[in-house]
Amino acid sequence: MKTRKINTYHQKKAYLFILPAMAVLTVFVFIPLISAFVLSFLRIDIYMNDIGFAGIENYARLFQDGRIWNAAKNTLLFSALEIPLQLLLALFLVMLMLGNRRLDKLLRATFYLPYVCSMTAISIIWSMLLNANSSVLSYVLRRFGMAMPNLLNSVTGALPTVALITVWKNFGYTVTLLSAAALDIPAALYEAAELDGASNFQKFIYVTVPSIRRTISFCFVTILIAAFQAFDQIYVMTGGGPLNSTETLVTYIYDRGFQTTHDLGYASSISVVLFVLIALVTFGFRKQTLGEAEE
Amino acid sequence: MKVRKRKRQAGKAAGDILLLLIALIVLFPILWMLVSSFKTDADVIRWPPSFFPRSWVSDQYRYVFSILPVLNMLKNTVLFAGSVTVISLLIDSLAAYAFARLRFKGKDIIFGMILITMMVPFQVIMIPLYIEEYKLGILNSFAGLILPRIASAYGIYLLASFFGGIPKSLEEAARIDGMGELGIYGKIIAPLSRPAFISLGIFHFMNNWNDLLYPMMLTSSVEMRTLSAGLAILVGNHSIKYGPTLAATVVSVAPLMILFLFGQRFFMEGIATTGVKE
Repeated sequence: MKTRKINTYHQKKAYLFILPAMAVLTVFVFIPLISAFVLSFLRIDIYMNDIGFAGIENYARLFQDGRIWNAAKNTLLFSALEIPLQLLLALFLVMLMLGNRRLDKLLRATFYLPYVCSMTAISIIWSMLLNANSSVLSYVLRRFGMAMPNLLNSVTGALPTVALITVWKNFGYTVTLLSAAALDIPAALYEAAELDGASNFQKFIYVTVPSIRRTISFCFVTILIAAFQAFDQIYVMTGGGPLNSTETLVTYIYDRGFQTTHDLGYASSISVVLFVLIALVTFGFRKQTLGEAEE
Repeated sequence: MKVRKRKRQAGKAAGDILLLLIALIVLFPILWMLVSSFKTDADVIRWPPSFFPRSWVSDQYRYVFSILPVLNMLKNTVLFAGSVTVISLLIDSLAAYAFARLRFKGKDIIFGMILITMMVPFQVIMIPLYIEEYKLGILNSFAGLILPRIASAYGIYLLASFFGGIPKSLEEAARIDGMGELGIYGKIIAPLSRPAFISLGIFHFMNNWNDLLYPMMLTSSVEMRTLSAGLAILVGNHSIKYGPTLAATVVSVAPLMILFLFGQRFFMEGIATTGVKE
């Protein structure tokens, strides 16, 4: 196909089709993306006066800032907890639902319900429910003779709790995607496995999972992207605390840029760290991320 | 064989119970929020707590509407999420048509660049975007909220892959009849892609409706606040009690939840098309 010359008239039309999208993406995505790197070498605050070149000053500070390593660690820890949990829980539920087609539709709609709500709203509800002193949950636990720990105020417990609540909100979306794919599998495949005497679990592992492999990796990538950007739930439930134990790179960028120091240059250098981290992870999972997109 | 069958049935029953248990864990917090928003102040913090209110009152809602410009926030959210959805469906689909159906120089490189931006977290471009809007003088305005969102890499990718799956034979006949590209896009490809449009439209509407960081950063006045941002700031200053907070939360989630309950089919069926074809 490459040998045939592309008609220039058609080319012009094609460019007109992509022009509006490219104009918007250039102004609001590509230019800001390049600017993030430039800004990280500047001395600039939110009031935009007294802007100057800072050289590598921001990066030098970065290496001495303990909070950034803590934030990077928390970003990875949050992702390492949240991603597999959401994916495996969704897969497990799809397996159970395949065994019960009667409840299938109702269950899927129920699981999807939290996904429709904003993370802000979900975070508010769960903060109240997890309040150890006054909530219904703590009352129920007390009736069973247990004391409810103050999870969101605990240095070790807060991050896993926030990750769990994120799973609670989003798993329904993954269930819906996976079960839509699983319901498309031809019955003949299952029948063959049944003749060989496969159990439900074996059928799921050897027939269902390989057949929906591409949907699983699509889900993996979308969950991954969301996990690295998780902001709302942390902002609302813990504000990064206690003792920075839930502070991630994205909340730290917001804190430095817009909340405490208003130092946009330094915040930009943290953005660059986040970008590099994402690039490394994307490269590490390139088969899933880029391979998915290319096809 | 009999033992095996019984074993399988027991396993199935255990599975069903587990599924219902998880459904309960999902429903409980949402129902608790709805029900508790109709409690009195004393009832909300009463010990021992009870799930249902002693008497159903709308005090909390009245209070929230009196201290917050809720209707104005609702209007802002509808205007923001609605315009972004409508405009970006048009712009994304035009670009997707070119990427899926037309040949032009640099196509692969441009498409690749668009795909890569899907991986970039918003927080990386957040600060430059803020500075840019400051320089353009569109901070704290609808233009500033809407413009950056009217084209999306994900939308272009999704529609391009959907358009790519439509058989070429349909448009070839039209092309022989002398139909132009715009005609083929508008009269053949777009109508055939309704499920993809609905699915992407819901995706855009829901994401922008629920978004927090983006509108919070780009708006500063109370008059420009969206529901999510207004709610987060309300909770952030810790001076407000449980009851009104719950009522405000219900107001912010109710519209989408009602849409979901009535148009469930579109939310869930649409999803099937967003996934990948196996």
